[in-house]
Amino acid sequence: MMNFYMAYQPIIDFFLIAVGLGYSQQIALKAGVFSIATAGFAAIGAYTSAILVTRYGIHPMISVFAAAAMGILASWILSLPLARLRGAFQAIATLAFVQVVIALLLYFSGFTGGALGIINIPRVVNTGWLLLAVGVTMYVVWSLNRSKVGRVFGALREDDSVAASLGIPIQGYYTLAFILSGVIGAVFGGMRSLYVFNIEPVDFGFAAMVASLTVVVLGGRNTLLGPIAGALIMAILPEIARPLAENRGILNGVILILVITFLPNGVGHELVYWLRRRFRRPSAATLGRTVTKGGANVSAH
Amino acid sequence: MLLQQILNGTVSGAVYALFALGFTLIFGVQKLLNLAHGAIFMAGAFIAYYATINGLPFWFAVVLAVIATGLVSIVTDFVAFRQLRKQGHAEFAAIVTSLGVDLILMNIAQQVSRTQVLSFPFGTFPVEFYRGFGMRISLLQIVILVLVVILVAALYWYIHRTSFGRQIRAVSSNETTSALLGVSSQSVYLQTFFIAGALAGLAGVLIGLQFNSIHFMMGEPFLLQAFVVVVIGGLGSLMGAVLAALFIGIVQSLTIAYLSSELSIAIIFTLLFVTLLFFPNGFFGKADTFARGSRR
Repeated sequence: MMNFYMAYQPIIDFFLIAVGLGYSQQIALKAGVFSIATAGFAAIGAYTSAILVTRYGIHPMISVFAAAAMGILASWILSLPLARLRGAFQAIATLAFVQVVIALLLYFSGFTGGALGIINIPRVVNTGWLLLAVGVTMYVVWSLNRSKVGRVFGALREDDSVAASLGIPIQGYYTLAFILSGVIGAVFGGMRSLYVFNIEPVDFGFAAMVASLTVVVLGGRNTLLGPIAGALIMAILPEIARPLAENRGILNGVILILVITFLPNGVGHELVYWLRRRFRRPSAATLGRTVTKGGANVSAH
Repeated sequence: MLLQQILNGTVSGAVYALFALGFTLIFGVQKLLNLAHGAIFMAGAFIAYYATINGLPFWFAVVLAVIATGLVSIVTDFVAFRQLRKQGHAEFAAIVTSLGVDLILMNIAQQVSRTQVLSFPFGTFPVEFYRGFGMRISLLQIVILVLVVILVAALYWYIHRTSFGRQIRAVSSNETTSALLGVSSQSVYLQTFFIAGALAGLAGVLIGLQFNSIHFMMGEPFLLQAFVVVVIGGLGSLMGAVLAALFIGIVQSLTIAYLSSELSIAIIFTLLFVTLLFFPNGFFGKADTFARGSRR
């Protein structure tokens, strides 16, 4: 076990970071917010941590909390225009948000190091920190799922008009979803910067956005284990076949198309239901799930 | 200097218009975002480049690129959208699948070009300049402007004055009803995707010529710019897209000339946010493409 850990430690650490960013992406989608802003939040968190630690010598632990605060601030500001929009418009605006963040990081080069980014960041984050952060995040998401907030998010995702007619203040819950996504994204962005030695704006561009989206779509948008399953598959696939790693774009693209078309709930979700069916007698609840309207949910047969 | 910048901005705005027209046409008909549009634009430049360096005459390379990107766009529809249309609830799923097509096309282009920046051989298009009123305009810029005016007029005529266009508009306003009245929505989707892809491909060739650089990531900034253009113009509105594209082109060339290119990106996307905040339907959007949710 120890040998396995030593040999694969970097992969495990990057897997944990991917899981964290996956939760940031997932919590937005869970509430029906088409936000792809996770990469932008991660950039804000990463630069906050890195600047505080390298320029002002602040304790790394405190810098991660500062990153969380910046994430909350940024996502709250972002939610002001975006909680009022829906669907495609939210997706467009969050894509634009990521671009604005990167453009500003490049423009204020005196402060952020411009295109070269920030170098010589001390590596203080280890697997323990990351495990702790993923654990806390999972606990928060798990307890949210079981609480009123989780049920409201589900209602918003299915139909926001119905949710509004039931007296749910939908704009407030959209804002909450944005803020949760922002704080998780910023924390893991901050920890990433304290792990990889140097960061640059390109790290948080299109590729980062696609990566966290792939993790969630692949793993499952509504399952607690979704980001873990997704990140696990994305970490293992390039390891077992080198050609896949070279053509990561094609791999990601094919996975995105096939999974969203044929397994819209994600692989993690299907796995959980398969295990339940396998080890448990079907209850009324699981039987009820098999009947879905109009074939919209083809996979959950 | 100012007039020169406005002229340059108009020319790049004209190319943005070609790109954004296809994007907004697909949204208008399908109500789905096609994130693969940037990669199709890039494919146009790539096909024209490889046709030219393999000895084909340039005009033929352009025609080839335009037809090929139209077909690539149709394939995108088959791969990314067709299955989702059958299932319903496609809004988010379409973003993901078209992103998948985008990644695949970019990866292929990256392998083909070995991640290098390509450029058309010198003299592919005659380099000539004309002067007047203190401005300088190249032959290429004139050709771009004329071409865009002709194409926009042709598209307008096609959508609003022909029977095919009437079918497209019928499907865009209500697919089920128009299917009941005998309109084949399949043929409408084929047409819109072909037109959108062909326009994007032509825009790719023109941009490849104008900036003399072709690389596998070139579609991405244009896709993002197209978002701003279609949101300001109103998603689904063709005339809005053209006017907003010219506006964005001019704003961009002025901000790059007088401020800086990074700040120009930030300003353009801030325009997007402000528009979304105060005029979420854009300035030319139809009432039925409402951006806000149910009850606000």
